[in-house]
Amino acid sequence: MTVQSHAGAAPTLRLAIPFTFYRFVVIIITAAVVLAPLALVFYQSFLDAPFFQPGARASLYAYRFVFADEDFWVSFGTTLLLASGMTLIAVPLGAALAFLVVRTDIPGRQWLEPIILIPIFVSAVVLAFGYVVALGPVGIVTTSIKELLGVAPWNLYSFPFLVAIAGLTHVPHVYLYAAAALRGLGSDVEEAARTAGAKPWRVALDVSLPMVLPAILFASVLVFFLGFELFGLPLVLGDPQGVLVLSTYLFKLTNKLGVPSYQLMAVVVVAIVAITAPLVFVQRLLLREAQRYVSMRGKGVRLAPLRLGAWRWAAFAAIALWFAFSVVVPLAGITMRSFVETWGEGIALSEVLTLDHYRDLLDYPNVVRSMVNTLGIGVIGGAAAVVFYTAIALAVHRWPSQWTRIIDYLVMLPRAMPGLVAGLALLWVFLFFKPIAPLRQTLVSVWLAYTVVWLAYGMRLVSGTLLQVAPELEEAGRTTGASETRVKFDVTLPLIRAGMLASWLLIFLIFVREYSTGIYLLGPGTEVIGSLVISLWGTGAIDLVSALSVVNVVMIGAGLLIAIRLGVRLHG
Amino acid sequence: MVELAVTDLALRYGESEILKGVSVTVPAGKVIALLGPSGSGKTTLLRAVAGLETPYRGSIRIGDKVLFDAAGKIELPAEARGLGLVFQSYALWPHRTVFENVAYGLKLRGVGAGDIQTRVERTLGQIGLAHLAERYPHQLSGGQQQRVALARALIYEPAVILLDEPLSNLDAKLREEARAWLRALIVSLKLSALLVTHDQIEAMAIADHITLLNGGLIEQQGTPIDLYREPATLFAAEFMGNNNRLEGTLVENADKRAIIDVMGDRLAGMARTGALAGSKGTGIIRLEKVVLGGGPGPNRILMTLKAQMYIGERWELLFTNGELSVRAYTTAPLKHERYHVEFPPQALWIF
Amino acid sequence: MLRVCSIALVAMIASAASAWAQGAGGANLAEAAKKEGRVVVYSTTDSASANPLLKDFAALYPGVTVDYTDMNSTEVYSRFIAEVAAGTGTADVVWSAAMDLQLKLATDGNAATYASPEIPSLPKWAVWENKAYGTTYEPITFVYNKRLVPAQEVPQDHAALLTLLTTKPDAYRGKITAYDPEKSVGYLFDNEDIKYFPQAWDLFRAFGKVGARLYPAAGTMMERVTSGEHTIAYGVFGSYALARSKKVPNLGIVMPKDYTLVMSRVAFVSEKAKNPNAARLFLDYLLSKRGQNVIANAADLYSLRDDVTGEATVTGVRTQIGDRARPVAIDRELLANLDAGKRLEFIKKWQAAMKGQ
Repeated sequence: MTVQSHAGAAPTLRLAIPFTFYRFVVIIITAAVVLAPLALVFYQSFLDAPFFQPGARASLYAYRFVFADEDFWVSFGTTLLLASGMTLIAVPLGAALAFLVVRTDIPGRQWLEPIILIPIFVSAVVLAFGYVVALGPVGIVTTSIKELLGVAPWNLYSFPFLVAIAGLTHVPHVYLYAAAALRGLGSDVEEAARTAGAKPWRVALDVSLPMVLPAILFASVLVFFLGFELFGLPLVLGDPQGVLVLSTYLFKLTNKLGVPSYQLMAVVVVAIVAITAPLVFVQRLLLREAQRYVSMRGKGVRLAPLRLGAWRWAAFAAIALWFAFSVVVPLAGITMRSFVETWGEGIALSEVLTLDHYRDLLDYPNVVRSMVNTLGIGVIGGAAAVVFYTAIALAVHRWPSQWTRIIDYLVMLPRAMPGLVAGLALLWVFLFFKPIAPLRQTLVSVWLAYTVVWLAYGMRLVSGTLLQVAPELEEAGRTTGASETRVKFDVTLPLIRAGMLASWLLIFLIFVREYSTGIYLLGPGTEVIGSLVISLWGTGAIDLVSALSVVNVVMIGAGLLIAIRLGVRLHG
Repeated sequence: MVELAVTDLALRYGESEILKGVSVTVPAGKVIALLGPSGSGKTTLLRAVAGLETPYRGSIRIGDKVLFDAAGKIELPAEARGLGLVFQSYALWPHRTVFENVAYGLKLRGVGAGDIQTRVERTLGQIGLAHLAERYPHQLSGGQQQRVALARALIYEPAVILLDEPLSNLDAKLREEARAWLRALIVSLKLSALLVTHDQIEAMAIADHITLLNGGLIEQQGTPIDLYREPATLFAAEFMGNNNRLEGTLVENADKRAIIDVMGDRLAGMARTGALAGSKGTGIIRLEKVVLGGGPGPNRILMTLKAQMYIGERWELLFTNGELSVRAYTTAPLKHERYHVEFPPQALWIF
Repeated sequence: MLRVCSIALVAMIASAASAWAQGAGGANLAEAAKKEGRVVVYSTTDSASANPLLKDFAALYPGVTVDYTDMNSTEVYSRFIAEVAAGTGTADVVWSAAMDLQLKLATDGNAATYASPEIPSLPKWAVWENKAYGTTYEPITFVYNKRLVPAQEVPQDHAALLTLLTTKPDAYRGKITAYDPEKSVGYLFDNEDIKYFPQAWDLFRAFGKVGARLYPAAGTMMERVTSGEHTIAYGVFGSYALARSKKVPNLGIVMPKDYTLVMSRVAFVSEKAKNPNAARLFLDYLLSKRGQNVIANAADLYSLRDDVTGEATVTGVRTQIGDRARPVAIDRELLANLDAGKRLEFIKKWQAAMKGQ
């Protein structure tokens, strides 16, 4: 090889767009998309009538009303309690579950993972109702226990139960982030602890946990936010006892004054956002602390599972218990409901079995179309959403700038809006921002609504996989002569392909059960299974709802299994 | 052929100063080693030259081209510097074949597909990996990966090649072969190279000049022989070679000669310090310079043989006398217990 | 001859003028509707119930597609007013069970004036200024669990219910369920109760004393009654109850004999309709004998026309309770239910009643 003398053989090919430009464009678009609905809501809170009505005047009446309403403060406190309790339950369990599945030799690891994700894609209302059928005052389990023991010592409609169920059904969310982080660890740090004499649990607590703390912290904040957004569960399980949370309080407010009063709803949303912002701030602080524990990734050695020894079956039993309570019980309830004419006190189940509900489903208009729409939004919309999230995640990836702070806040905000309001706000955006108005009647508007609302969730999924790309691989690209933009395309993106696939699968699960966000944007031809469920629920056709839900769960579950078979691994 | 000139580079991370004003020159066609313990700033310096770190003071030039100038606010991005960097971890792209890894630099420079094919094949042939062109990095051994990383950095014929601990990930035997091969390659290609290493033997074997860094500052610069035989400071003396350290008190210090009192015994040696008589002094002598003499005499201490270790071509001996311990080499094992250990004055440096 | 011709001419012009005033009437309406090709309907009637209507309409007028979206009443209202304000197109027909909200929309100028040819066949209370129309005749009933409520205890009227709850509070503790007036159409019904039942507040207090559970939707109420979690539900739409009882023999229905409220789903043609003729066609269909027949016998709703036969009709109701039906009139009085001050007062009193005070 001959070498001529050069003053620097710099490449001539450069991608035209400097990466910093791209970063700022992304920030602006994200800000626009997130702030538009929020701005409308904020604006609305200061008016005395819908903002689009000519007679609307500025007024603080809404604020005075809401802040003077005892129900508001009560529901606020209850929501805080619920969100905290939920987080306290979901986070340790989710982290423990992740550790068990990812890092130990617990039996049945392969099929445990998809099963753990089931609560994510079952609609909350359906899940809650399953509990009513199973554990309610006249539920199957309740009546059986009553016969056996004479008394069933629990009250499904009590607040502790609500917190427990909310917490347990949010375990998968924590699991996802914790598992992804754990997979990124090198095994040498844990092996060092084992040889020093630490039992598996000590290793988990002293070594693995601190190193995945950032992921767990993020998941905690996310779950806490989801606690504010919780609607289906408190509606079905809390209402009977008069337990009010912010979202059901919102539901009440809507009709309290007769005509829907958006300004009151807006005030509640403003209040929620007011809590959100400081929370994100706290989260950033905690994250910065936690980053200190994240070392250079250990040499990427194949992870040897930690042997649990005698604890193996105990751990398995614990997981089985969680699974039984969080998944099997409610699903069994729903399934049973779908196969019986009627149920409850004094009914012998064997006498009322029927397939009628499934037959009726076939006659029901739009069932097939809504399934197709739902799948479409999940698969195609999910893919598009992942692309969107990746674009944003790439923009802030390894960017040592204060601007990333803005994205942190922006990204969390949409999740602070309960579905009830988010749907309405997004309708307003599509109605009154003329450039995008033509999209309103299409599934694109629904897609955009879902994508914006789940921004925090999805972006973090992709960010997690981006972090696993060793910085040297990108630096090697740059020293070879590739610009930052070029490096993202040639090096970073190909390397996170597997992670993006996994994110796609998870976003699919989320989109498939979504409903309230798109309610105002749906129309004939664009209905989804969720809207069908609510519509049926309203008329009391709970049996059809159950049948539809069972079909839905089976469909999604099958899709999940197929995807995993095809090699989509949930670990990026 | 151009010269790389780094002038008065200073860099900090947050509160800590990593580089405190370092100047290094890589003359055309020469290999310069940045040597030092971890934390000395050598890798940071290399990365700054590559454009992966930003100093706050100083300048970096290649020939007439300014890569970085703090005062003039010039900072060329990494991809525009036209240098080659071989990473310690090789950083081969796992999703690309060996061929693609090496070809990337040419692709970026708009070289035609046919030319790329020829040049990459030729380069791979020259490093003996032509048969592995279609393999993926994880299918290669460590040594092979290192050569691919090298090829990737060289293929577009950069003015200067930067190497970050290129041999540290190889096992001992391979390392010795590799350092010979690496030096031969660099010299035959008439490249200028800046190499970072913590291994002084590696530095001495491969480099034309060594820059010894300590705590962000240059301790000493010179040829390997200069550094080995004429260390300017205690740190430099101790960093190179295998040494014995004799703590004591200065008795006399005049005219390039000094006398140090070590536990009652007086030893004469070469003065390397300007300190006055009465202050603390440290004597440094290479292991191989220690002589085992017969009987008492000047510059000798009576010591007890504590251990003998066979290390292949010779024996390493451990002597003690109270607090003092001294190691030396012989070609044959010793039989007695007590020996007079001599420290020839011209080989004993007193700091 | 000239006289006859001129009279004929005047008659023709007059009928043409009146036809024009009504908007292309009769067969011309169908023609015009076909030209428009579709009608957009926002409705609170769920798709399953509406399906027979839509199918029949399609059979009758194949050239007119119905874009039918079902949502809850708040969603219908919110979506409609926002779209009207934005001017980007909205429903042609709005059909909602929230009678007060519908009337508000109508009085706010959102309803087009249209004298449907079906008016002569409709009861007087069901037509408001040729703008808003009642389309059904749904009694508000008690619903109970046949297995768990002894036959002799089943309350046949409001007074009996009050007596039952005050004399057997323990048997019915936690077993009564009713609409939550803060969140639903229950507010309207409760206020109507106050009109016709002097002891209405005593009844509500009795609910409170036995720890009645309140829900925003009839479906939930019925499900919990059939399962036995509750045993009596107060104020359930007779239409839903009838439909359910066909599937679940366990479910008993009572139309209170002292008086039974009757509500009606209100429909109007939107002033800003993009397909005004198709809208009118659809409205006419809903009110026509054929449409009402489907409503009574296929759609699980109740018909309000005298000339329709079946259980779910005015006649059917009359057989059960004679002249005790008290339809909620579709007039401005409905708007009183939307008065914020009145609502807050009521809610305060109601909440006290729920505590038994």
